[in-house]
Amino acid sequence: MRLTVERGAFLKSLNHVQSVVERRNTIPILSNVLIDAQKDRLSLMATDLDIEIVESLEAEISRPGATTVSAHRLYDVVRKLPEGSQAQLDANGAEGHLRLNAGRSKFQLTCLPREDFPAMTAGNLPHHFGIDAADLRRLIDKTRFAISTEETRYYLNGVYLHAFKGKDQALLRAVATDGHRLARFEIPLPEGAAEMPGVIVPRKAVQELRKLLDDATGPIEVAVSDTKIRFAFGSVILTSKLIDGTFPDYQRVIPSGNDKILDVNASDLAEAVDRVATISAEKTRAVKLNLERDRLTLSVVNPEAGSANEELPVDYGAEPLEIGFNARYLLDILQQLDGSEAKFLLADAGSPTVVRDAGEGADLSTLYVLMPMRV
Amino acid sequence: MTRIRRLGEATVNRIAAGEVIERPASAVKELVENALDAGARHIDIAISEGGLGLIRIEDDGHGMAQDELTLAIERHATSKLSRDERGEDDLTLIHTLGFRGEALPSIGAVARLAITSRTGDGDAVRIAVEGGRIAPVTPAAFLRPGKGGTLIEVHDLFFATPARLKFQKSPRAESLAVQDVVKRLAMARPDIAFTLSDDGREILRLGAPREGEDGGLARLGEILGREFKANALPIDAAREGARLWGFAGVPTFNRGNAQHQFLFVNGRPVRDKLLLGAVRGAYADFLARDRHPILALFIDVDPREVDVNVHPAKAEVRFRDPGMIRGLMVGALKRAIEAAGHRASTALAASALDSIRAEALRAPGLAEGTAPYASAPDAYAAHMPARPSPAALALMTEAFAPAAKVTQSDPAPRNFPLGVARGQLHNTYIIAETEDGLVIVDQHAAHERLVYERMKRALGETGVQRQMLLVPEVVDLDPPSMARLLARADELALLGLVIEAFGGASVLVRETPALLGQAGIKGLVRDLADDLAEIDEALSLKEALEHVCGTMACHGSVRAGRRLSAEEMNALLREMEATPHSGQCNHGRPTYVELKRADVERLFGRR
Repeated sequence: MRLTVERGAFLKSLNHVQSVVERRNTIPILSNVLIDAQKDRLSLMATDLDIEIVESLEAEISRPGATTVSAHRLYDVVRKLPEGSQAQLDANGAEGHLRLNAGRSKFQLTCLPREDFPAMTAGNLPHHFGIDAADLRRLIDKTRFAISTEETRYYLNGVYLHAFKGKDQALLRAVATDGHRLARFEIPLPEGAAEMPGVIVPRKAVQELRKLLDDATGPIEVAVSDTKIRFAFGSVILTSKLIDGTFPDYQRVIPSGNDKILDVNASDLAEAVDRVATISAEKTRAVKLNLERDRLTLSVVNPEAGSANEELPVDYGAEPLEIGFNARYLLDILQQLDGSEAKFLLADAGSPTVVRDAGEGADLSTLYVLMPMRV
Repeated sequence: MTRIRRLGEATVNRIAAGEVIERPASAVKELVENALDAGARHIDIAISEGGLGLIRIEDDGHGMAQDELTLAIERHATSKLSRDERGEDDLTLIHTLGFRGEALPSIGAVARLAITSRTGDGDAVRIAVEGGRIAPVTPAAFLRPGKGGTLIEVHDLFFATPARLKFQKSPRAESLAVQDVVKRLAMARPDIAFTLSDDGREILRLGAPREGEDGGLARLGEILGREFKANALPIDAAREGARLWGFAGVPTFNRGNAQHQFLFVNGRPVRDKLLLGAVRGAYADFLARDRHPILALFIDVDPREVDVNVHPAKAEVRFRDPGMIRGLMVGALKRAIEAAGHRASTALAASALDSIRAEALRAPGLAEGTAPYASAPDAYAAHMPARPSPAALALMTEAFAPAAKVTQSDPAPRNFPLGVARGQLHNTYIIAETEDGLVIVDQHAAHERLVYERMKRALGETGVQRQMLLVPEVVDLDPPSMARLLARADELALLGLVIEAFGGASVLVRETPALLGQAGIKGLVRDLADDLAEIDEALSLKEALEHVCGTMACHGSVRAGRRLSAEEMNALLREMEATPHSGQCNHGRPTYVELKRADVERLFGRR
């Protein structure tokens, strides 16, 4: 294999694929990136056996071939090459080295044979649909904060993506929950997605996908089977295994009869919660909300540190209510809101509370459920 | 085809003997108990070949007359059960160690047994049984003319049951088991003299009868070692007719297994799960999970309140009100530990001293060993000219003493148990001078414990905050575990875990302690179920909560390597004095050791 590639383009692609490679691996070849040069395209592939990212870029190829080298090391080398330089890659199967020359720098990187590189068999992905990059970004951004990190409930360690028949229209929904709070976001169902199975996309795949989406525009091709999902956009293809489990029936935990309605300025509330929570114990971060007619009092008592109180003017007409929440969870949700107002739908101190985006610029496709704390 | 038939008398006796006499130690136990029940003041025990060759037990009890002797070796014959008003044997009122009339016939069935006995005024008689065959009673010469007593000799134990003989351990192991049995019985009866010899070698000589509590401690000290005596807390508590007394070691005096916990119910040595669980519960806060305290505790209850007839070797008992006994034990032990507060194990000071002495022996010239200490203050002064010299530091501490004078009429260090800080070693240890010695404090361990105690107090004041679950978690268990958990649901709710029944063998977790965040609830609930089954206490949950507190305490406390000012050091010492349980860290290690002036003088050969 012999080729010449422009440093800038090479670096960008390497950056995309190397982030899936774990820092520590028990299988050495998983630390490597597969470099495959065919005709006039160079393709880079990395995997952790659950997620695979492939990206192709233009290169001047004088002798086709393929090899694998350490992904993080190659990335660091290319990153430190002078801007605008051309990298020449040369590998000869017999030597076990990849020579990389750029300007006056010469590197010899140890290779492992490409035949050992595990390729993910995607199998048949029967359901295809297109989704706009901006929509997919929001689908992830609005929900991923609620993904559980607790390994024993593995079926909560991802975003649940599924088609849903709404009242007026069909929807594509993303749902995540950690058992304490839940986030739901929906967009009109893209064509071709109606038959897709409900799938749980693992946390790491969601994070990698989100990184790739930073500079993606236009439609993204999604292909799904029962066990795998593939996102293809431009020159990048991300394929991930899905979590093999059943996502809980989340509809049941979203209350519909909550009739105590609180409207409050979202940023004012977020700032106030953040302020009073300074006093709370670092592990529990409980904050108490005391609701009276058009007045909300936030309070925190921590026998070790003292107490804090803050009053906020709000729009509230129902009977007085006292309810506790984890300040961290409240802030997480308030930060997701696009509108100027937050609308809380409450029942009592022991039942789930619904939070919706409201006011100017609100995104009504979001819905959050938060479980109170007993304080 | 074989038909059902009645077993021969000898076989029946051997099978029954298998239950009672399992190894030489169990024979010794039965025989010594007989001696105790006969009111003996001296009991001499001799064994050879670990008791398989010979067990010889001589006592000065009331002895047996000829007609009793022939009955004694028959099954189900005893003098120890009283008859109630209807003339029935009363099994609910047992004052003696034995009551079943099983021991002698059982031993006689499997060994060559000879009993020589005389009552105070009668003649000595002898009867022999060999593998179940009884020889006629003959007159005998007894060693103690004019006095009552019994001599029992058991030769060739298990000769009649070769199968059992094959499964005996080495004579050495059996001999250790015999020693253990004798020690336990001797602990319970400090008023009786015991001797034990093995193949002619004297192993135990527990002196002349003593009376009262001190006698008890002296006997325990003889058996458990002098260190136990120095580190034991007296326990004496009563509740609803039950009395708990004895001695419990301070938490820093601990061992790697629970072999050194001696528990007695009405003078009977037992290894009862309920009681061991209560001990564990009482010490849980002071010891790591794999460390065990050393103690000897006696429970005296009305014989009607306890059933001893539940275990062939009588090692387990059943109380009519186990909750009360448990509460009594946990409460009394905790109170004693609390009251002891500041008694770090003297064993630690002793071992510290030993290592200093060892140093002195290895390198002639103690000066070399102490050189680094001597030069440390100089290094201080050289590197940090702004810091006061040791002399100035001492002056400074003096200067602070008047401040304390405002409330204390007399200047330090006399008024402070932990003394006044005189300096810091390696930025890690505080050296304080007390009225009669010096104290070395591990600043990190001490502060960690203080922070931990403060957090626990806060937790106690506010209660455990609970996060409700949006999706309740189902934990699959087996029906008994589920029942055990649900029975304690109220207590668990106080600790932050709210559960309810779900089907026949699962529980539904509705709320979890907010402190634990998203920790694996399933595993915790299963551990809890096991805890309840094993030791009847929700230890896992408490431990999980305390672990979080402990970790936070560790992060929130002064580290080793931080230089402390004199005020800071003194403040730490004063807070330690004011805080219960600050004598040991969360893992049972001491937070400070104290060297008495006499110890220091001994180091220099002045004593």
